[in-house]
Amino acid sequence: MDRGNSISAIGHAAVVLWVALGDWFFAPDDTPPMQVAEVSLVSDAEFSAMVAAAPKSKPAEAAPAKPQVAAPEPVDPTLPDPAPDVVPEQPAPRPEPAPEAPPPDLSPDLPVSSDPQPVEAPPPVAPIAAEEQPIPVPNSSQRPKPRPIDRVAPVPVETTQDTPEISDTATPEVSDEAQPDAQVVPEEQPAAAPQEATTQVITEAVETEDNAPQLAPTSSRRPQSRPQRVAAAETPADTAPADTSPERPAETARQEDAAQQDAIAAALAEASQQEDTSGDTGQTSDRPAGPPMTSGEIDGMRVAVKQCWNVGALSTAALSTVVTVRVDMAESGIPDAASIRMTGFTGGDQASANMMFEVARRAILRCGRNGYPLPPEKYDSWKDLELVFDPNGMRLR
Amino acid sequence: MTQFSRLTRSAALLCTLALASLAGGLAPAGAEPLRIVIDQGVIEPMPFAIPAFTDEGGAKDLAAKISAVVAADLAGTGLFREIPADAHISRVTSFDAPIAYADWQAINAQALITGAVQASGDRIVVKFRLFDVFSGQPLGEGLQFAGTPGSWRRMAHKVADAVYSRITGEGGYFDSRVVYVSESGPKNQRQKRLAVMDYDGANVQYLTDSSSIVLAPRFSPSGDRILYTSYASGFPNIYLMDVGSLATQQLAQQDGTMTFAPRFSPDGGTVVFSLERGGNSDLYALNISSGRLSQLTNAPSIETAPSFSPDGSQIVFESDRSGTQQIYVMPAGGGEARRISGGKGRYGTPVWSPRGDMIAFTKQNEGRFHIGVMRTDGSEERLLTASFLDEGPTWAPNGRVVMFTRESAGAGGQAQLFSVDISGRNLRQIPTEGPASDPAWSPLLP
Repeated sequence: MDRGNSISAIGHAAVVLWVALGDWFFAPDDTPPMQVAEVSLVSDAEFSAMVAAAPKSKPAEAAPAKPQVAAPEPVDPTLPDPAPDVVPEQPAPRPEPAPEAPPPDLSPDLPVSSDPQPVEAPPPVAPIAAEEQPIPVPNSSQRPKPRPIDRVAPVPVETTQDTPEISDTATPEVSDEAQPDAQVVPEEQPAAAPQEATTQVITEAVETEDNAPQLAPTSSRRPQSRPQRVAAAETPADTAPADTSPERPAETARQEDAAQQDAIAAALAEASQQEDTSGDTGQTSDRPAGPPMTSGEIDGMRVAVKQCWNVGALSTAALSTVVTVRVDMAESGIPDAASIRMTGFTGGDQASANMMFEVARRAILRCGRNGYPLPPEKYDSWKDLELVFDPNGMRLR
Repeated sequence: MTQFSRLTRSAALLCTLALASLAGGLAPAGAEPLRIVIDQGVIEPMPFAIPAFTDEGGAKDLAAKISAVVAADLAGTGLFREIPADAHISRVTSFDAPIAYADWQAINAQALITGAVQASGDRIVVKFRLFDVFSGQPLGEGLQFAGTPGSWRRMAHKVADAVYSRITGEGGYFDSRVVYVSESGPKNQRQKRLAVMDYDGANVQYLTDSSSIVLAPRFSPSGDRILYTSYASGFPNIYLMDVGSLATQQLAQQDGTMTFAPRFSPDGGTVVFSLERGGNSDLYALNISSGRLSQLTNAPSIETAPSFSPDGSQIVFESDRSGTQQIYVMPAGGGEARRISGGKGRYGTPVWSPRGDMIAFTKQNEGRFHIGVMRTDGSEERLLTASFLDEGPTWAPNGRVVMFTRESAGAGGQAQLFSVDISGRNLRQIPTEGPASDPAWSPLLP
C-alpha cells in the first residue's frame, strides 16, 4: 500500500466515523432551557384548612355536561329584544376597541328626523379611473383560449396608403386559354390619369353623382382672364383661320410666336394667381400641406358622422333625397354651425331636401360637439368638408 | 436663325410650363373641399323633450293634460322617444323664456317642444314652439290654436300634428277619427254596432244600436258621412249615414239583390260597391245625387272590395276570376283589369293609399294571415304582420300607418284593433272598450 492510498483510507475512515458518531459528540444543544419556578410547600393541615374555608358550589353549576334545556317560549314578533338583559361575564375581559360592525339598533324609539335625508343615488355609470388600471390576471394553470380576432374592425383602421377599391359586382371567371376561334382584338389603352388625380379618394358613390368633383389636377386649369395682349393676338387668327399654307411663312411664324407668348403668359398668370390665392388664405400659407387624407382617416370621419345621422323620423320622400352639405371645420375638429349649408340635392323636391338637410346638420353638430377625429397636421385637407348624405341604402323597399 | 429662335422659344415655353406646374403642385390642396359620402346612418326614434306646458291663466290642469297628449301622440308613432321629465335639467317656467340649449343637449334631446295654455271663460288658447336643440334655433314658427275647453284633446292633437309634420316632412294623422264595429257577446252570437272614436281610442261614440249586424263602415272624404253594410232587412245592404244627425239612408235598393263592401270615390259623389245577383257578384258604381247605377265588371267570378285611387282614375279590387282570390286594378269607369298580386296565397281587401303610391291588402298563406303593402303595380310587396287572423287594413290620412283587425284564435277569441307603421315597426293595439273590428280611418279633421 502506497502512501497515497493510506492517506485516502485514513481520510475516508475519518469521514465515516464523523458521520456515524458526529451527532453524539457534536449534537446542537437546542433543547429549551429548563424553567424553574419557586414553590412553597403546604402541609396537610394548611390544605385542609383552605378547603374548609372555600365556598360551596351549587350542583347545577358543577355539572355543565348536562345542561337544563328550557322549553322554547313564543317570540313576540312585534317587539324584538333590543338587548339581552344579562350580559355574560367574560372570563378575562380585555380592553378591546369597539366592534367594527355594531349590531343594528332595532329599538322602535329611534329619533326620526323631520327633514327627509337625501338618499345618495348610485352613479348612472360606473366610475372610470383617470388612469388606466391593470386588470389582475387570474392564477390559472390552464392556458386561456385565444379570443378570435374580429373579422371586421369596429373603426376603420388608419392606413398609410390608399386601400384598393373592391368592386361591388363579382367578376366572372374566365379561362386562361383562349378560344380557338376567338379574334384577337387590340385592347385600347385608356389614357392614364395623372398622378395628382389619385391623391383624393373617390368612392364609387361619388363617381355616380352627377356633380362629381373634377378629377383633373387643378394646375392644368386655364386662367380665367387673359392679358389684353393675348386677346389682340387672337383677332387676326379669327380673320385667317387655320391657314398654314407655305405661301405666307412670315405671318404663320408671327402667329406661332404669338401663340407661344400666349401660352407663356397664361402659365405665368396661372402660377401667379395660385400664389396669390395661397397668400390670401393667410393661415395656410405658412403651413405645410401635409400628406393627403388616407382612406382610413376619411372612413373614420364617415363613421363618426353616420353614428348621429338618424333618419328614423324622416318621411319616405325625404329618404329618397340625397343632399350635399358644406361645412367649415375648426382646427379642433369642431364644425362651425353657422357655416353648415346645403349646396345641392338630388332625388326629391325642395321640401324633402330641407328635411334631409336638417337631419344632416343635426348629425354633423351632434357628433362633432367634441371634435371629429381628424389629423391636425392635415387641417388644410379637411378644413372645408363637403358631406354627401345618401339615404338610398336605408330606404324602405 | 429663325429655326434656332423657335427652338429657344419652345424651350423657354417648356421651362415656364414646368415651373408653373411645379408651383401648382406646391400650392395647398385646399381649393377643393374634402368630399365624403355618407350612405349609412341609424334608424331609431328621435328623442324629444316636452316640458309641461306653462299655465298662463286658469289652465293649470289643461296645460299638463295637453302636453301629455302631445307627448303620447308623438311617442306613439314609434318615430319619436320622449325623454321623461325627471331627466330634464332645465325648467321652462315661461313660454318666452330663453332656451338653455346646452341643458337639453346634455340629455340628448334633439327636439324641444315648449307650450303654454291660457283659459278665459269658454275659450282656451294653446300655443307652442319647436326647437332644434343641436342647431340651437327654432324649427319653424310657433303656432297657437284656440277652442273650447271641451276640445282640448283635439287641440293637443293639432299641436302634435304640427310638430310631426315639421320634423318628418309629411302630414300628421293625430287629429282624426276612426269608425269601427264595436262587438259584444259570445263569438257565435256576436252583437255589432257602429262606433266612432279618436284615432287613439278616446272619445268613443256609438252610432247604431245592436239590433242588426253592421259591417265595413267607411268614412266619406269629407268625414261627415259614413257608408256601411247592415243586415237590417235580413240581407246585406249598404247604407249612408250622416254623422251629424245620424240619419241613415239605404242605397242601391233592388229586390233580390245583396249589396256590400261600399266605398266612396275621392270626390265623395260616387259609391262603388259589390252587388250580388243570382249568385254572382260584380262591381257597380252609384252616383249618390242622381241615383244612376252603372255596372263596372261583368264576370262569373266574385268581384268585391273595391277602392279608388286618390285621383279617382282607377279602382283596385279583389276577384277570384283566376281561380284564387287575387288583386286587380281597372279603370274607374270599368274595363280591362290587370292582376297585380302574384305571390303565393290569397290576396284580398285592397285599399289604395292616400298618397297613391301603395296598396294595402290582406294576405292568407299557409294558414297565416298577413297585412301587407305593395306598389300599385304589385311590386315591392312587403308583409307587415302575421297572426292567426289579420284583415281589413285602413290607411291613416298621411299614408304612413295602417290600422286593421286582429282576431285571436279559440272559442274565446276576440277581435281587436291594431296599427302598424308601413315599415313594419311599431305594431300596437288600439285601446277600445271591448272587441272591435272593421276600422276605417277618417281624413284629418278640419
